[in-house]
Amino acid sequence: MQKNALHILLADDDEDDRLFFKDAFEEIKIQTNVNFVHDGMQLMDHLMNQDNKLPDILFLDLNMPKKTGKECLIEIKKTDHLKDIIIAIYSTSSSEEDIEDTFIQGANIYIKKPSDFNTLKKIINEVVTVNWHYHTSGLNRDNFLLRLK
Amino acid sequence: MKWIPNFNSSNSLRVIFVIAVFILLFLSSIAYKHNQDLNESSKLVMHTYEINIQLERLMSAIKDAETGQRGYIITRNARFLTPYIYSRDKVNTSFITLKKLTADNEPQQKNLQKLFKLITQRFVSFENCLKYSDPKTYDKRKLDNHMFGGRILMENIRFKVDEMNDIEKEYLKKRLKIYDDEISLSPLFSISLFLVALSFILLAYRQISRDFERLKVFNKKLLISSGLISESENIGKFSTWQWDLDSDKIDFSDNQFRLLGLEPKSFAPNRATLLKYVHPDDKESVAKAIDGIVEKKNLPFVYYKIVRPDFEVRYFKTIGKLLTDQQGSKILLGINFDITDEHLLNIELQERNKELEKSNKELASFNHVASHDLQEPLRKIQTFISRVSDADKAVMSESAKNYISKIETSAKRMRVLIDDLLLFSRTNTTKKEFIKVNLNELLDNAESELAEIIEEKKAVIKTNKLPKLSVIPYQIEQLFINLIGNSLKYSQPNLEPEIIISSEKVISADYPKILEQSIKKFHKITFTDNGMGFDPQFKETIFILFQRLHSKTDYPGTGIGLAICKKIVENHKGHITADSTLGKGSVFTVFLPD
Repeated sequence: MQKNALHILLADDDEDDRLFFKDAFEEIKIQTNVNFVHDGMQLMDHLMNQDNKLPDILFLDLNMPKKTGKECLIEIKKTDHLKDIIIAIYSTSSSEEDIEDTFIQGANIYIKKPSDFNTLKKIINEVVTVNWHYHTSGLNRDNFLLRLK
Repeated sequence: MKWIPNFNSSNSLRVIFVIAVFILLFLSSIAYKHNQDLNESSKLVMHTYEINIQLERLMSAIKDAETGQRGYIITRNARFLTPYIYSRDKVNTSFITLKKLTADNEPQQKNLQKLFKLITQRFVSFENCLKYSDPKTYDKRKLDNHMFGGRILMENIRFKVDEMNDIEKEYLKKRLKIYDDEISLSPLFSISLFLVALSFILLAYRQISRDFERLKVFNKKLLISSGLISESENIGKFSTWQWDLDSDKIDFSDNQFRLLGLEPKSFAPNRATLLKYVHPDDKESVAKAIDGIVEKKNLPFVYYKIVRPDFEVRYFKTIGKLLTDQQGSKILLGINFDITDEHLLNIELQERNKELEKSNKELASFNHVASHDLQEPLRKIQTFISRVSDADKAVMSESAKNYISKIETSAKRMRVLIDDLLLFSRTNTTKKEFIKVNLNELLDNAESELAEIIEEKKAVIKTNKLPKLSVIPYQIEQLFINLIGNSLKYSQPNLEPEIIISSEKVISADYPKILEQSIKKFHKITFTDNGMGFDPQFKETIFILFQRLHSKTDYPGTGIGLAICKKIVENHKGHITADSTLGKGSVFTVFLPD
């Protein structure tokens, strides 16, 4: 485990997606510590456990068993020591409703799961290297959904 | 509220009648008085004559006495004295009669008194004459004196009697004059009064017969209209009832009975029977409404069921309004509607609505499935293919590489299909928020969305000023993207595409077959291109979902784009048409409400 590495947490119930995610992180040249949880309950347990280091960026799938991503998002934003975690919604859905809801609930960015591995790498690179302080202060409905140039 | 035509003449008729009756009463009272007076005056005349006669009798009795005495004095035959002896009684009788006759007349009574004195003196003088003419007591001088005194007394008596007669005559004259004065109406005046009364009565008669004619006419009209009302009640399945709140009397129209499944007038309605046919479920609420009428004098719409004698249940709607008629009595007019058919239809509609809601929900969940669950495996396929690296491909056989590439193409196509299908269904299911925007802005957005292909094809888009309309912005933007994209896609090879977009205001009446006539003004926006065009026989079918005019190898597409356009325009209560000449270009026309 590297000391100055970026702590990334992916909450996704899909094994393949976790695999793509892991591979993508391995291929980009940034020091990261990537952890995975399989559902919403596990995510909240992980975050609430004092022994675990809080992630710098949480990639959150919306459609998860036991507790959905939206429920987790609301709970995180309600919890004082968790509410500052950068949250990137990572979902197959690109429905207006989901984008609108998560924006209102305070997510930082919305990523539609790409169907191309190289695109995934680009997205992850973009998200990990973005200046979050700058991005969050200028956040609006238009730049909430991540679009690669 | 005008209940019946106003017969104003009835009041004037009454006045005329009263006047005529008064005139007649006046005339008859005058006649009566006249008669009375005539009677009085004849009595008076009789009275005067009677006094006259009695006075004459008195005189003649005295004269008889005088004659008898003279005869006796001359002949000394006692037979001549008989009249003298009776004359005293006669005088007394006449006197009593006279006294009675003049009882109400003071001066006559006085005169009578004086006359009586004179007569008494005359009889004393008679006695003296007899005494001094008797041979035994004969005294020529005294006899002469008394005879002469008798003569003077006699003259005085005559004078007195004349005076009394005169007074009576004068009195009679005066009284007759008074009567004459009292009946001052001349016969001419009486006759004219009578004529006036008569003409008044005739006038009244004329008015009455006129009113009668009018009444007859109105009665006829009333009969016709009441017939029409009852007929229309029958046809329209409604009925009326009137409740006189003052007398608490309730009247049902014939159709009310029919609606209740009864023969007209089969029972006398009252407050108790109002509830008789109401369905047990609704009795309480209807009773409450009825109490509400009496308290608030108003009946809002009440919906309830009734049970007919044959146990058929019908649905009723009732409304009432309080009216005040010309006499000031309060009448509650109620109208009952048999809404059974509508009610059943409504229930059916509600059920259909529920079904629609259900299928809408199903559609929404299908949307979710399509947007999420169907995309999931597809995305995996695509990602896994993208993971097949060039190094992997180098060791594959040619055919395997070919298969991988085919899988990739099919997966891509599948993605486009799903995306378009989603877009199509979302144009219908997502929120429809109308915002007033300048369509030029939306067109600019659409153009920048298509910037890449515009540049690639060196296309020219010419636009004149587009209107500012209340639209669903992202949908109109999509419409522009699809239409322009379509033109660019089907451009002619070797010819730079040119798209002309123009707008004008039109009136819906000019396009009765295609435009919603309740909206008057539309904006007609035309997209004219110089593309390859299509056979005009397909101008309707190109808007149908999955309808394609070209093979997908020549022109990749899903056949959803124009269907989306149609749906978007329909969402805006507009219309879209297409026309084309093969090889020359196409024109798409969009009508959007002002």
